[in-house]
Amino acid sequence: MNYALIVYGAPYSQQAAHSALRFAEALPHRGHRAATVFFYHDGIYNATRLMTPPQDEPNLRQRWSLLAKAHNTSLLVCVASALKRGIVDNKEARRHGLDGDSLAPEFELTGLGQLLDAALTHDCVVTFGA
Amino acid sequence: MTSKRILIVLRHAPHGSSWSREGLEAALVGAALGQEVSLLFMGDGVFTLCSEQQVGALGQKGTAPMIDVLPMYDIERLCVDEQALIARGLETKDLMVAIEYVDPAELIAEHDIVLTF
Amino acid sequence: MVLHILNRSPFASRVHEDMLRAMVNEDRVLLIEDGVSAALKAGITLLPTIDERLYALKEDLEARGLSQRCDPCVNIVDVDGFVALTEQADKVVSWF
Repeated sequence: MNYALIVYGAPYSQQAAHSALRFAEALPHRGHRAATVFFYHDGIYNATRLMTPPQDEPNLRQRWSLLAKAHNTSLLVCVASALKRGIVDNKEARRHGLDGDSLAPEFELTGLGQLLDAALTHDCVVTFGA
Repeated sequence: MTSKRILIVLRHAPHGSSWSREGLEAALVGAALGQEVSLLFMGDGVFTLCSEQQVGALGQKGTAPMIDVLPMYDIERLCVDEQALIARGLETKDLMVAIEYVDPAELIAEHDIVLTF
Repeated sequence: MVLHILNRSPFASRVHEDMLRAMVNEDRVLLIEDGVSAALKAGITLLPTIDERLYALKEDLEARGLSQRCDPCVNIVDVDGFVALTEQADKVVSWF
């Protein structure tokens, strides 16, 4: 089955991102795939390319990136939630005259419509609340 | 796009966190995509429906204007868990819109997708 | 069957009360994160009538040192078991 996961929790503040990642990595064991992970609320902070955890902690940024590459998972970030909290891609940075971007390359800023679209088209939706 | 019935469950009070705004935003987007959307207010989510809400001291928008536009998006079912009102000493006259009392379990059973905020 | 996921301790939050009001008889509950404390003997009394439909995530119990302290009625599942529960559910509703 194709799964849509929704992540509301900021990395390292709450367990939501760890739980979602762990679940996403386990899906192939039973023949499934995380087709879409949608980051909303404080979950959008998972998408920062500037995340620099100490070496003895799990590197969430690296793990999301590996997941996306291994299973062609779309890592979608609510653009409205992201911009107001300082997560911007190159295009938005230029549009708003900012001196740098902060979105990690595997992630994509999208509208909330993509969350609804994933919920409507995927076989199962699991929310990881914060 | 396939048509499914979407239930948005709001469980948090306005202003103190962005949950209710973000939940209502999802409801409006779902409706704009042509889906049938219902709202269920449980727990502190019923405070989202209180009349006389205002913007915050720094101009934070709150949720009252979003509740006002729901009919324009054809979101007609505003469902409330009566227990939540009773527990908070609120009555329907305290609310800014007409609501419908429901059994939360039955409402969930009637919908294909349930998103909680 | 609806799978309800609870990630809040019933000793600290009242969200489990909303969850119980949203459940019907065949529904299941999976405890994850801080929700696993509901698997303790004192915790399951706060989740009455669920009995054999109560599941708890093994790795979250182990991380908190609670594995051996669970009530025997709780079904302990690993992350693959978590996936299996979602397969069997018509929909998944999260409470946080």
